[in-house]
Amino acid sequence: MASDREMTQTIRLRVNGKDHTVQVPARRLLVDCLRYDLGLTGTKEGCSVGVCGACTVLMDGQPISSCLALAVFADGKEIVTVEGISGEEKLDKIQQSFIDHGGFQCGMCTPGMVVTAKALLEQNPNPSPDEIKEWMMGNLCRCTGYYQIIESIQRAAAETSDA
Amino acid sequence: MSYTVVGKPLGNLEGPAKVTGAATFTADVILPEMIWGKVLRSPLPHARILSIDTSEAEQLPGVLAVLTARDLPDTLTGRVVYDTPVLARDRVRFIGEKVAVVAAEDPDVAEDALSLIEVEYEELPAVFDSEEAMKSDAPLLHPDYRSYPHAPEKFFSDVPNVHSHVTWQVGDIEEGFAQAKEIFEHNFTTHSQHQGFIEPHASVVSVDPDGRTHLWITNKMPVRAQKLLADAVEIPQEQVVVHPVCIGGDFGGKGSLMDSPLCYHLSKRTGRPVKMVMTYTEELMAGNPRHPTTISLRTGVTEKGKVVAFQARVVFDSGAYAGFKPVPLVNIPGANSAAGVYGTPNVTIDAYSVYTNCVPSGHVRAPGDLQVTFAVESSMDLIAEAMGIDLLEFRKQNLIRDGDLLPDGHRLEQVRIRETLEAAVKSSNWGKPKAHPFVGRGVAAAYRHIGTGEANAQMSLESDGIVKVITPVPDTGTGAHTLIQKVVAETWPLPVEQVEVEARPDLFETDSGAGGSRVTYVVGQLVKEMTEELRDSVGRLAAEALECQVAEVAFEAGHYSVKGSADSALTLAQVAEAGSGRPELSIRKTQVNREAPQVTTFTAQVVELEVDPETGQIKILDVVTSHDVGTIINPLAHQGQIDGGLIQGIGFGMMEEVVMEDGQVSTLHLGDYKLPNMKDIPPLKTVLVQEEIGPAPFQSKAIGESSITPVAAAIANAVYDAVGVRFYDLPITAEKVYRALQERGSRGE
Repeated sequence: MASDREMTQTIRLRVNGKDHTVQVPARRLLVDCLRYDLGLTGTKEGCSVGVCGACTVLMDGQPISSCLALAVFADGKEIVTVEGISGEEKLDKIQQSFIDHGGFQCGMCTPGMVVTAKALLEQNPNPSPDEIKEWMMGNLCRCTGYYQIIESIQRAAAETSDA
Repeated sequence: MSYTVVGKPLGNLEGPAKVTGAATFTADVILPEMIWGKVLRSPLPHARILSIDTSEAEQLPGVLAVLTARDLPDTLTGRVVYDTPVLARDRVRFIGEKVAVVAAEDPDVAEDALSLIEVEYEELPAVFDSEEAMKSDAPLLHPDYRSYPHAPEKFFSDVPNVHSHVTWQVGDIEEGFAQAKEIFEHNFTTHSQHQGFIEPHASVVSVDPDGRTHLWITNKMPVRAQKLLADAVEIPQEQVVVHPVCIGGDFGGKGSLMDSPLCYHLSKRTGRPVKMVMTYTEELMAGNPRHPTTISLRTGVTEKGKVVAFQARVVFDSGAYAGFKPVPLVNIPGANSAAGVYGTPNVTIDAYSVYTNCVPSGHVRAPGDLQVTFAVESSMDLIAEAMGIDLLEFRKQNLIRDGDLLPDGHRLEQVRIRETLEAAVKSSNWGKPKAHPFVGRGVAAAYRHIGTGEANAQMSLESDGIVKVITPVPDTGTGAHTLIQKVVAETWPLPVEQVEVEARPDLFETDSGAGGSRVTYVVGQLVKEMTEELRDSVGRLAAEALECQVAEVAFEAGHYSVKGSADSALTLAQVAEAGSGRPELSIRKTQVNREAPQVTTFTAQVVELEVDPETGQIKILDVVTSHDVGTIINPLAHQGQIDGGLIQGIGFGMMEEVVMEDGQVSTLHLGDYKLPNMKDIPPLKTVLVQEEIGPAPFQSKAIGESSITPVAAAIANAVYDAVGVRFYDLPITAEKVYRALQERGSRGE
């Protein structure tokens, strides 16, 4: 995709447990690298300015806005996208909970929501509604009004802590 | 009634694809050899284009094509009236209008090329206010309007820049005012709100060497998109094949072609598939946001508090083009509910849609309804206070009753507004002592028609025993496909897993698609009838296979058998096999519902909030939203519509505004345009006043555009109750409240 005059750089990154070596223009954003160089279109782009959270991925376990990060920033890093959340056969508890409790409608914010919620439950397995709101406020959803998303996360947490 | 599937919460059948990232949205479509398009937009609100020099842009490595209007057929496009150029030809009419397009191997290179295009403009006088645009000395933006394709002759006006003037009336307004003891006049203004879908508009077009044109588009009326694209680029509709994609939120805004004609021309020019994805900045400067509106009300009331005359003048700022309006009126029919939930005998409502040099406006969830409801429900409080009547009692004595003739020509039956309003009040803290000073409560109510339109479907019994429904309606997130699945499963009855739904808009020539609170009623009804027909055909085939009379066939637990003998039971798959090749196993139908049903939906809300007198900040403490509902087919999706609409209504009422100054949008990203986030949502109590009286399948009703409508009015009324400041314009932001309190303070009140 790079034009002739652009400076390119070779980066190595591990995405969802798989190693990739990609040559990218220096200005390529991580979201575009994931979506178009690696074909992982589960990560969505909404606002392009790091406000809506649709592009959230985990970099070394931390949620980041991949629309704000340059691809070269991910060199040598471990990335988890929504495609890497579930196992081979079975959905992650968070994913199943989003289905069972109406945590999505159009699905555009859902990958970012699932990834961000996953990071939350890793750090805080039993969050209160206020903790969920505080953690998730950087992920916008226009369809649900958030009530069923909060419930989805709470139910997933309850299930995790019961298990 | 008791049901097996209806009424049980069911996760959307698209769930697994959506939570794993496997669902395909338009921007996710990647085709071999695909290239990218980007548009250059006008920096001026009204100007003549003198010249465009694209030579430097064409030289940039990686650029494959640069097109201007001169390279395109001279066509106009739009959802009903065709008034919008694909690229501006000789003049631009708003900041953000498209003037040139670039295709390149890489989107960043296409963006670079835009800065190399030189456009010379001659500025023209511009008009940014709809009232100004209606004056005799205003610049005429579309002098040739009457000759545009599908311009609504019946609603032409001699007022400058008015492209549609619609009047709704009932009774005799002069007679009504003559009966009034007091006449009140109130003026309100509302602002521009973006739909706020997280997925910006996107299009992908790939033109085969033989002209066959493949289209992927963020459009909730994909069948119509085929027709609109064909007209815009002058090819036969049969050449356009629209491919199904998920729609990342619609809220009324995704029914236009947006950049797809440009993708077509670039693909045709380069022989490559072309993708264009709008940035959110482009969405905010050139999407199709809610119409800014000015509303003037004149209300005549008798001494006893009976509203006997109601006159509304509603002016919608259409912006530079009317092409985003999807109804034949080319106006905003939501204005017809300007008299609110009141059965006023003498009503006249005039709705004007007016061209200005602003961003073209389009449909946003409950278009028009939000604006006029803010006005009428604010005015009811104002009048009640002025006349010294309790505001609830004033409302109650004027409510619509069964059989009242409404301005839109309807007589509603089974009217439940009284119960709905009373339930909202009862579930709230209304009348109870307030915990703090500066706490206020506001009430507001609205009604919303159940949508009409054309529905199509194809239904078949597959060889594996699956009942398959093919629908032209895309999945916009409202759960339409899950609804179809449930209606089929309940009607037959079958387990939901035995019903498959697939969107294939390319198999249909016309269809109304999703929107207008239409799907549950129009599509649901059609699918229910088709299920009954297919089920009866299958029953007859089973009788043949079982060698018995139809009346002797029993259907239990998914098996057909001769009544009283379970030995030779046949599965659906076995019946399908026995009837293989029989035409009655695959049916296709079209149904058009032109008249809105006489039963409709009412909403009443109570908002309790607290105003911080130091900062003007409003904190909503509690919301009660009360809805008169029929049978609820999918409680999960139903509540999801209530929740989402309510928060969108809060955004409209106090947070969101596409701020424009002289046609220039200054809220150009989602950091400036504030969509409610998870911390903005208040405690919510939903009250359902349920009775099985809906016109949709299983006596259900529409819900999608209900909860959003009264919110802004309830907030305005609550703010008044809290601090005694009345707002006549939206949104009611902290800044406005702060300023109003400061002004009042400086007047020593």
